[in-house]
Parts: sequence; C-alpha cells; structure tokens
Amino acid sequence: MNEAVTHPVIEKVRKALGRRAALTVAPTPPAIDESFTRLIHDTTGLPELFQKRAIAMKMLVEIVRGHEVARKIADFLKERGSKTAMLSDTPLLQRLGITAYLNQAGISARSWSELTADQAYDIDAGITEADYAIAETGTLAIRHRAEHGRLLSLVPFVHVAVIEPRIIVPDLLDFFARVSKEGTGSGMTLISGPSKTADIEMNTVTGVHGPNVVKAFIVA
Amino acid sequence: MSLPAGAAQSTLQNRPLDPNTAAFLQEAAASPFDFHSLSVKAAGDERLKRVVNAAVLRQYSARQQQMLDLPDPDKLRELAGQIKQHAVDHLDYYLEQLASNVQKNGGHVHFAADSVEARKIILDIAREQKATRVIKSKSMVSEEINLAHVLEQAGMDVVETDLGEFIVQISHDRPSHLVAPIVHKDRASIATLFSEYFGTPYNDDPKALTMQARAYLRDKFRKADFGMTGGNFLVAETGLLCCVENEGNQRQSVTTPRVLVSLVGIEKIIPRMIDLAVMLKLLTRSATGAPFTIYTNIFGAPRGPGEKDGPEEFHLVLIDNGRSEILASEEYRETLRCIRCGACLNACPIYRKIGGHAYGSVYPGPIGALITPIFKGLSEYKDLPQASSLCGACYEACPVKINIPKHLISMRRDIVNSHLNGYFERLIYRAWAWAYKSPFLYKVITVLQRLDLRQRAQGGWVQDLPSVAAGWTQIRDMPEPAERTFHQMWKTRNE
Repeated sequence: MNEAVTHPVIEKVRKALGRRAALTVAPTPPAIDESFTRLIHDTTGLPELFQKRAIAMKMLVEIVRGHEVARKIADFLKERGSKTAMLSDTPLLQRLGITAYLNQAGISARSWSELTADQAYDIDAGITEADYAIAETGTLAIRHRAEHGRLLSLVPFVHVAVIEPRIIVPDLLDFFARVSKEGTGSGMTLISGPSKTADIEMNTVTGVHGPNVVKAFIVA
Repeated sequence: MSLPAGAAQSTLQNRPLDPNTAAFLQEAAASPFDFHSLSVKAAGDERLKRVVNAAVLRQYSARQQQMLDLPDPDKLRELAGQIKQHAVDHLDYYLEQLASNVQKNGGHVHFAADSVEARKIILDIAREQKATRVIKSKSMVSEEINLAHVLEQAGMDVVETDLGEFIVQISHDRPSHLVAPIVHKDRASIATLFSEYFGTPYNDDPKALTMQARAYLRDKFRKADFGMTGGNFLVAETGLLCCVENEGNQRQSVTTPRVLVSLVGIEKIIPRMIDLAVMLKLLTRSATGAPFTIYTNIFGAPRGPGEKDGPEEFHLVLIDNGRSEILASEEYRETLRCIRCGACLNACPIYRKIGGHAYGSVYPGPIGALITPIFKGLSEYKDLPQASSLCGACYEACPVKINIPKHLISMRRDIVNSHLNGYFERLIYRAWAWAYKSPFLYKVITVLQRLDLRQRAQGGWVQDLPSVAAGWTQIRDMPEPAERTFHQMWKTRNE
C-alpha cells in the first residue's frame, strides 16, 4: 500500500479513470515475455561481446591482465596528452596500485577524496570502476556514492574505466533485474561511449559536454 | 513573480526573433489556426524541405535497420504499448506510489494542474533557494509551458544546454522536431549565428561549431546553481527518473547544481525498473536508429552522505496541463502512451516536406496533429487532423503502437459531429448524400461530372477547378477520369 499522498491532480486523474476511491489492491503490470524482449541469451563470451558492442558505440575496449593495467593506463594517458588524473576511491583501483604508478610515470594523479567538485573541472582524465557492464549495448553502469563521484566520468576529456568480467551482464533485462534487487543508490549513470551530438545536419561530433574518449580496460 | 535583482542578462530578450520562424509563429498564432496556408508556404521553401527531408529520412532508415536486430519488433512494440497503457489506466495508483517513493528518497513532490501553476512552483523554488544560474536540459514539456522564457523574464540566467536547443535559444527560434530541434537549420545559418553571437570568424565545420559551444557552456555548467530537466520515464516502484541523452549536458544538469528540478508530465509513469529494459530497447532505436543512447541517467534523489556532487535538493514537478482530460476519454486515452521519440515525424511524408513549425504547436508531426487539438481545443486546431495522408507510416513506426491514423479519422468525425466544419461544407455534403442515394441522379451526375472534368483536364491531369471546388485543386492535381465509368465497363464485361 502507498503512503497517503493526496492532491487535487490525483483526484482528478482518479475521476477521469471512472474510479470513486483509491485502488486497494496493487494492479498487476503486464508480464515481460523474454522470448522477444531478450536479445542476448548466451552467458559465455560476455567480455568479447561487450567489447564488440562498445566499440560499435566508439568506446575503446582492451582486455588486459591485472599486472599490466597500471602501465597500460599510464601509457594510454600519455598518448592522449593527459597530465592530470583523478581516480575513484574504489577497491579494485586501490588494489591495482594505479595512483602510485601514474605519479611515478609523471602523471599527477589524485583520488576523488582529495578533490573538491569544482577542482574536478580542471583535470584531464577520470579513472573509475563500474558496478555493472551490459554486453547487449556495450554499456558501463556506475552507482553514485561518496567514493565514486559523478564528475569523475563526466568533466574530464578522457574517461578510463577498469572493470572485471564478473560485472558484465548479458542483457538490459539482466541489468534492470539486478538493479531492482540491489538498489540504485542516489542515482546511476549508464555510459555507452564518448559524448556525442548529431544536431548539426546529422553530422556526428564526439566530445560535446562529456568525455571525448572513453576507454574500458577489462581485467581478465 | 520576480527574483532578486543582479541576475545575469537574458539572452532571449536581447535578440530579435529568427525571421523565418517569426513569420511562421505569427501565422500559427492566428485564430483559428490555418494549417493550409502554413503548409503551402513551408512546402514551397526548398531549403527547408531539403534539410528536413535529408535529416529525418536518415533517421527513419536507421530506425528500420535497427529494428531488424530485435527478434520480434512487433511483439516488443505491443508489450511496450501494454506497459504504458497499464500505467495510464492505473495512473492514480502509480502517481501515489511514485510521490510517496520520491519523498522516501528525500525529494520533494509538487503537482501542477496547469502551466500557470507549474511556472509558479518552479519560480518559488528558485526564489526560496536564491538560485539564479539555470542549466536546462532538453525537455518538451518545458517547451509546452514556455519555461525557459518565464525563468528569464524573472531575471534568471537560463541556458539551454543541449546543442540543438542552445542554438534554438540564441537564435530565438523554436524547436521543430521532438528529438532533433534544429533539423530545420542548415550549417551555414548556424555558422553565421555563432560568428555573430560569439564575435568570431565564420566557420561552418560542425566539429568547430560544437567545440565552440562546448567551451562556452562548460563555464555555465561549472557555475550553475539550478538544474532543470524533463524526464523520459518516471519509475513508480523506486520514485526515480530515467532520462536518455547523447551529449552529457543533462548529466551536468543533474550533477553540478545545488538544486535540481525536474518537470515531467504525469503520463510518463511506468510501474517497475524492469519495464525500462523494454522501453529503452525501443526508445533509442525509434528516435535515432541507434541501439542505445550514450548516456542513460537514473536520478531523482538528493546526494547521499559524503557525496560531493549531485543535487542537495531535488524537486519533482508533476504537471497535468490537460492530460487528465485526455485520460477521461477512453477513445483517446491511448495517446498518453507517447514517449516522444519522434519516430512518427521521421516516418511522415507530410512532416518531411513541411518541417515542424507549420504544425503551430510544440508537438509537431503526426503525434502533434493528434494531441494538439486534444490539448488546445479542436475548434482552434480543426485543420490539424487533416494534416495527414492517412498512409499509416506513423502507426507502423510508433514504438508504443498508438493508432494515430485511426484517431485522426475519429477526430475528423468529431469535427463533423460538433459542426465545426462550417455551414457550407455541411450543406454540400448533405446535398451530395441526398443525390447519391438515388441511382438515377447518381448516373446523371457521374456522366456530367466526367464530361466536365475530361474537358478541363490537360495532359492527363485536372489542375484548376472553378469556384467552390477551387480549394480541392489548389494543393493537389486530380487524374483525368477514364473514358468509360466503372458501371459501363462492368456492363460490357458481362455482355
């Protein structure tokens, strides 16, 4: 049952629907038949499928070994000319020792806890994890929380995400089923490539208001 | 309704209206609305036709290609339609559920019966929060209540942050498509506009233009204290919103400002999170022909403990503005399923030739022709149900299976039943009905009509009828009638 929220607009709606009083039993929404809603049936080869779909959305994806990740990120950022980086304070990134490696490699890297929101606007690259990845659409999903700020993957020109294969779910159906159970926190962002627009004569231009480069490293 | 002084200058008031749009808006404001002259004018604009046709055809064919990825697109559309229909059929229940969940998440819920109430609620929030720098993401319902302009008039610095809407704002234009607001503009006009607005040399490279807007808006994002969004879906079960976009400007709106206000129509509700899987699979495919958007934002709660970004305050403004009246009509209730994807615009042979401004409303194309008269009154907009060839392409494209052609026909029936079609037209049809009931008169009239039309025809087409029939040939040619009538042919066939 719902808590009592009443308003003339709701009353008007109820009247328009021909009801005198509020429903006492929750209505049953249509069942979701997976035979035509599910696009990905196979649960094997998800990292490869994610890679394929994400690349189609212009995300860069590389499958790497754990011990290579820090070096690969440093090389990638240097190649892109990033001099400063910020990282989410999340366990995988900490375990992989990325901050220390980047600083040694000459990239000034700071963790999210050391920054103010405004400072984030001046940083070249943001490095995050993801809470889920969706193979169907090549999407990274991040649940916002204190150690995993929203701006990390939004305001830098380069966004690097480090993910483990276990977080990859096959289909959007699986993603939303998981999120229904596990919660959304104060909000979530789903990212499927670099920010883009096609407003001017349908010409696709990337790097509009979000990152121009999104790179996912899948740690095998 | 005014805000503390000292707020930044308004961009809208400083610029003259885009001359092309100005002419349209002036005509569109005529009462009653005259679609005929507007569409003739639009169809005669070669530049407009070229850019709109090219752009929307491209989206249309991309959509058709993308739908092939689905195992059974038709069944999926059916299910999406059922989910939305279920939600509007139980809207009272889901509104209560949604509102109570938004409050549980720490947000505030407001209901607005109409545009006046919605504007007041939003201005009051801004005033109370002493917020003056607004970053606004693209939203059709805010166009519906002309929100940006109202906030600017109250002295706030309002920026439309979607690239297309930004261009609309600085050129003082109006969007002409639900998804691609500046589909009516070519790059030369945008380049000229930017060169004037920013005082920079002319450059019509889309990448350069986009980067120029990025640089300008970035500073606005950083300093904003008031974020405004619409909402693609309201999830009753969690009290959260789901919005899709490609540019990242909406992410900015829901991330940086201290206060976030989302204005959403009450019909945007879906019951469960899992329904998003169904709706999102169809929304982007239908809108742009891409399998998914770059960003899907799930938001609608203030920031959690220890978080340094995200809004401190969240307000959801749920607006009725005529929707409950549509709800009361069992016949037209189905139109509230609309998810504003724009697929029917892209599919429509009429829209492709005249663009969006000719529809005289913020909702153009087939869906606009249908909902504008419902929202604003059939007597004012009785031309719009005629703005269709009834070819059915819009129905075929609709991801929630709104039977647009059927409803347009019903509305034509309503026009006749409520005597909105004029005394003379009714008289003609009554006379026609009376005459054609008699086989003898039918034959006589057919013979005379055929003789007359054959005489008028030139090169196989009748292009110019006199007096009362002139309206017919003004916008269409009629093929020359055959030498013999069907009845005559049937007779000889039997002999």
